[in-house]
Amino acid sequence: MQVKAKQTVGGGKAAATTPGMSMYQVSLSYGASSPERRLILENITLDVREGEFLCIVGPSGSGKTTLLRMLSGLVKPTTGEVRFRGQVVSGPSRERAIIFQDYSKALLPWRTVAGNIALSLEAEGMRPADQQPIVAALLSKMGIVRAANQFPGQLSGGMQQRVQIARCLAQRPKILLMDEPFGALDAMTRQALQDEILILSGEQRMTVVFITHDLEEAIYLGDRVVVLGDTPARIIETIDVDLPRPRDQLTTREDPRFLAHRHRLFGLLRRH
Amino acid sequence: MKRILIGSILPALFIASWEISSRTGLLTLESLSRPSDILRAGIAGLADGSILVATGQTFETALFGLAVAAVAGIIAGAVLGLSPVLERVVDPTIEALRPIPAVAFIPLALMMFGFGISMEATIVAYACVWPILIVTISAVKAIEPRLLEVADTLEMNFVERLRKIILPAAFVRINVGLRVATGIALVVAVTVEIVLNPRGLGYSLMLAQQSLRVDIMYAQLLWLCVIGYVLNALLRNIGPASIVLSRAGR
Amino acid sequence: MRKIDPLTIAAFGFALALILAWQLLAELNFISPIFFPSPSRALSVLAARVLDGSIWTPFFATALRMLFGWALASLAGIAIGAAIGSSRLARDLLEPTLDFIRPLPASAMIPIAVLFLGLSNAMSLSVIAFGAIWPVLLATVHGFSSVQPELRQVSDVLGFSRFEFLKKIALPSAFPDIIAGLRVSLAISLILAVVTEMQASLPGLGWDIFFAQRMYRSADLYAGLVLLGVMGLTANHALMLFERRVLRWRNLHA
Repeated sequence: MQVKAKQTVGGGKAAATTPGMSMYQVSLSYGASSPERRLILENITLDVREGEFLCIVGPSGSGKTTLLRMLSGLVKPTTGEVRFRGQVVSGPSRERAIIFQDYSKALLPWRTVAGNIALSLEAEGMRPADQQPIVAALLSKMGIVRAANQFPGQLSGGMQQRVQIARCLAQRPKILLMDEPFGALDAMTRQALQDEILILSGEQRMTVVFITHDLEEAIYLGDRVVVLGDTPARIIETIDVDLPRPRDQLTTREDPRFLAHRHRLFGLLRRH
Repeated sequence: MKRILIGSILPALFIASWEISSRTGLLTLESLSRPSDILRAGIAGLADGSILVATGQTFETALFGLAVAAVAGIIAGAVLGLSPVLERVVDPTIEALRPIPAVAFIPLALMMFGFGISMEATIVAYACVWPILIVTISAVKAIEPRLLEVADTLEMNFVERLRKIILPAAFVRINVGLRVATGIALVVAVTVEIVLNPRGLGYSLMLAQQSLRVDIMYAQLLWLCVIGYVLNALLRNIGPASIVLSRAGR
Repeated sequence: MRKIDPLTIAAFGFALALILAWQLLAELNFISPIFFPSPSRALSVLAARVLDGSIWTPFFATALRMLFGWALASLAGIAIGAAIGSSRLARDLLEPTLDFIRPLPASAMIPIAVLFLGLSNAMSLSVIAFGAIWPVLLATVHGFSSVQPELRQVSDVLGFSRFEFLKKIALPSAFPDIIAGLRVSLAISLILAVVTEMQASLPGLGWDIFFAQRMYRSADLYAGLVLLGVMGLTANHALMLFERRVLRWRNLHA
């Protein structure tokens, strides 16, 4: 089954030996005393390689989102440690951008599209004059130039999610953490954004951790797919996706290896 | 429990420093009295019944005005809510009258009724009728049209319709309006008494201030806080409409 | 030419009919002219006082009183509300006390305010501020404590300081609530401006109508009532216009 990738466009294949991010024996539980103590994540050890596109799938409510928040630093593990480029993660940082599923709640509704993107630049104390060209470049990169002066409420879901991605890119992050970013979008828009994010991550050799409950999306996007089992969440399986890049909505999805992976993942999740 | 403890830190500090500074002579302002004297005045007022009589007078007027406002507001609101044409016709008049502060009618009411319960209750009713009216209109408008068609097919008259369909269907939202109005009723009653009507809690508060019985004044203020707080708590939990209207729904 | 809705005509017809009925009753001496002067008399008094300019002094006195008191209440309400809405400690310390004194009718503060400040403008402003603070304060607390958790996290990831978070995220996010509170507070400010004028004989429309009643000049009384209505309506509409401008982003849809 092992087929070597010939191209590296769209999702970096060249995995470095030092991990970009890692979780070592991480567990998380809520509640102090034993009766109401709830274990959310159990003993998770995970490496995210520099430049790879890692997808995490699992049943809904399995703690995928919590895991992602831990990588960002928004949630601290009860035991174990999370490291970013060798450093223990102690809190959130602009180096690790997080893209929320619910774009309508994550954008500032009172700021225009351009204003939302500029927020990330204000955070590093950049002067307004210097912000302008960067915002303009991101607007055109995400194809939202015409919406620059509109408010998020005026835009379609796909456009709003583009704005959120642009704002995260403005952070110039080292890693992109995406929490079911396309889950609420219609099928056409979802596919368009899948391809855009593949191109983006390929161009900039960006490390991406992408959470989804859509198995096909995970296979289509990922270099590897991590399968989580639920309550408490733990890693059941990690599979390498040996599909060539660049990927294509038609041919990739018809590739027998794609179908084989899908078959396997489906079986894994059904059993748990 | 812990929250109550933390919440009482500031008031406790405030009262303690007030008491201590007035006892040690640090604070000699006549307008301040002392917490212990205020408490004593309050207990005396409750014991001889003077505070309770005044409270009764204020509540009597507030409830009277509120009842008038509730009847008028609910009936008018039901009529206007059922007829969009009529509502559009009357709306500008309502919008022109509503922003006039109720207290501005005090002189007029005084001229018409003289001192006493009638003039005070009139002002209370004027202040309370607007929230009830507005809420009722929107609540009746929101009634499922099918329900009104049921009333049509049963050939109900207006009173039956009001009792059996409209009030029960709009009950929850009208209740909200009545709660707001109840709070307003107490505030307006006390205000009218403070401005000029010689009865009730507001008046005895003014009387205490004018005769420089500062301890009694503060005690009555404290008492007003207590009944306001209790009233709010009651309204949050039951709401007056559930008493008045629960029978109408049968 | 724009077509005028017949219902609009009917609406103004209705208001006019009410006034005419009143005029008729007054002309026929059905109602006492001492209590109910005919609308034409009330209006002519109003017109005369507008024309000779004597109405503007009390009008602006009341308007300024209302606005100053409202401004005080708003500043304090937003500041305290922001503290309570964004800090657990401030909430635990202050909320029970505020819950206790909030139901107190603002007019009940008049005797205390008079003791400390006398029959002065400062007394009036402090009473207005006390009464008008609650709607803004409650609205601000609500606005600050219901910031979307996602926005909080965005702020954390971007590394905003607490001040930056309050300024760039919490305050604008609470703004719709705050403005709604500001409108209620403005209405209360007008009420208390009138009350304190009556109580402390301070210049303004409230005192004017009080005085008119004592002199049994009921036409003046009605003229004052009309002006107070106009003031309330104008203030409310001005704020509504401001709200529509500032919250433009809320009314736009895809």
